[in-house]
Amino acid sequence: MTHLAPPSVRLLVCGNADRGDDGAALSAVATLLPSLPSALLECLEVRRCGHLRVEDLTDVRSGEIAVIVDAAVGIPPGHVVILPIRQILAEADSPAPRSSHELPIDQVLGLAQVLRPGGLPEGTFVGIGGRRFGYGRPLSRSVRLNLPAFQAAIAAELARLAHVPGGPAPSG
Amino acid sequence: MSAADGTLVADAPGAEREFNVPYVTRVEGEGSLVLRVRDREVVEARLKIFEAPRYFERLVVGRTGDEVIDIVARICGICPIAYQMTAVHAFEDLYGVDVDPAIRSLRRLLYCGEYIQSHALHVFLLHAPDYLGYPSALAMAADHRAVVEQGLAIKKIGNQLISALGGRPVHPISVRVGGFSHVPRRQDLDAVRRALDDAAVWSKATVSLVASWDPPAFEHPLPLVALRHPDEYPFNDGRIVSSDGIDIAPGAWGDAFEEIHLEGTNALHARTHDGEVYLLGPTARVSLAADRLHPLAAAALEATGLRDAIRTNIHRSIVARAVELLHACAEARDIIDEYRPPREPRVPFTPRAGIAAWSTEAPRGLLHHRYETDARGHVVHAQIVPPTSQNQGAIEADLAAFAPSVLDLPQAEAVHRLEMLIRAYDPCISCATHFLDLRIVEDGA
Repeated sequence: MTHLAPPSVRLLVCGNADRGDDGAALSAVATLLPSLPSALLECLEVRRCGHLRVEDLTDVRSGEIAVIVDAAVGIPPGHVVILPIRQILAEADSPAPRSSHELPIDQVLGLAQVLRPGGLPEGTFVGIGGRRFGYGRPLSRSVRLNLPAFQAAIAAELARLAHVPGGPAPSG
Repeated sequence: MSAADGTLVADAPGAEREFNVPYVTRVEGEGSLVLRVRDREVVEARLKIFEAPRYFERLVVGRTGDEVIDIVARICGICPIAYQMTAVHAFEDLYGVDVDPAIRSLRRLLYCGEYIQSHALHVFLLHAPDYLGYPSALAMAADHRAVVEQGLAIKKIGNQLISALGGRPVHPISVRVGGFSHVPRRQDLDAVRRALDDAAVWSKATVSLVASWDPPAFEHPLPLVALRHPDEYPFNDGRIVSSDGIDIAPGAWGDAFEEIHLEGTNALHARTHDGEVYLLGPTARVSLAADRLHPLAAAALEATGLRDAIRTNIHRSIVARAVELLHACAEARDIIDEYRPPREPRVPFTPRAGIAAWSTEAPRGLLHHRYETDARGHVVHAQIVPPTSQNQGAIEADLAAFAPSVLDLPQAEAVHRLEMLIRAYDPCISCATHFLDLRIVEDGA
């Protein structure tokens, strides 16, 4: 009997740890990963993106699911948002990842939509609203207090998309 | 005042108008453009950079050379290697460090990676839409998918090269005073070496392609400044030379140039000691060091027949950038073919008090660092002079010279032409410069 491999999930971790709340996703994932069940870790591919580039999305293989985690703009600081990636592009005023640099985020997503066979990868953007992004600043209080909720949302999305029970995310 | 269609109309004698572009978008920093016109003559062209100061020169105080290298890389996500290379050469020059020739080659290879990804981004995704008549790369992709795909493919090869040497494509972490923290084995470079064959072919075609595009008519030669090396195309090493006869050591930037603070901008401008603005970047390098290009790039440049036009029309910088893209691909290939790992990735050194100063060629132009260190090698004072701050004066001079040619155009077209000129500089305050809005304010007679 042949077992089908579980769905492959590519976790794209965006942001810059030096720039205040821009490092929220890095902080969240760094402490979240060791707590995830091994069955979930086995089907995860984790990429640290810094700023999200078109290639990060076009490189997602057919059948692979993407989860983008990043600080978000367009929502209050500390609020956690979960959106289908394709919805960000479809709705101009929806919350969006903050970390693009070479091109604006709508261009990054739009080009990936055009250039990747099958369009934008299936998957989710999990974001947390940021307050400050200056160099050398720590995470803001709003983000720090809501980091457990951010981690819980990331863990839940990974488990849902990988069809693996994720278990509760760490509380602290 | 403007006509209903937005055409700028002639005013009463002595009337003054202000073209106010309040926010330059798609930029890492924040800036605006103000053009003041009187009697159809531009009396002021000011590129205002109002991004908050980032204090990097203060952040590195108290830090060692190795720490400085990692900190200054964070100044830019597109050209971090330029900042690392300038710092590492400065400290090694002060400490009298002689690195293994293989280390020197690897640093050129790393710089090739940065040129490839940075120039591919600008040529294909930021500048090409201007020539092909699209507001963005995304809009262009619908009709010119192959152009965008090729640009992204070349850019990806540059990023692979940086990853192979620096551990990651953005803000690499391997450069150290005395060498690298880790050097690749030859086989670690096999995949990117194969990819460079394709990149060289695509880049050669790119030179022909962009040379075939008609730029706006403009002729405004400016003094050119770049590094020049007896044997190499300028990346890490060479003397600072100019079309006006400047010829100084790479650490002696202050002997010929100075930074000045102008009202309305948070970025320092730079001038020669004679008060002259000057132009840096691909245009300057290709003009002052064409004889040091890789033979493939030199032949491609020659075939365009545009060497003189590049020198006088900034809109032709896209050709110079494409020539450098080909050069970087070809030189990277040669370096990998000849690469033998050094015996040690890093040689020891002894810090000392003094002045560590050097200049290298970032993709956008000459980048100068100067550090004063104490006896432990800790920085006590720093000066970082990025290419974009040096180019601000040239941008404003070009805008003033170019603006009269757009005054009779419809507003949208006039704005587009001004944006296009700024984009030709690939300014580092920007990932591209797009203006959200253009207001025309009548100042009165």
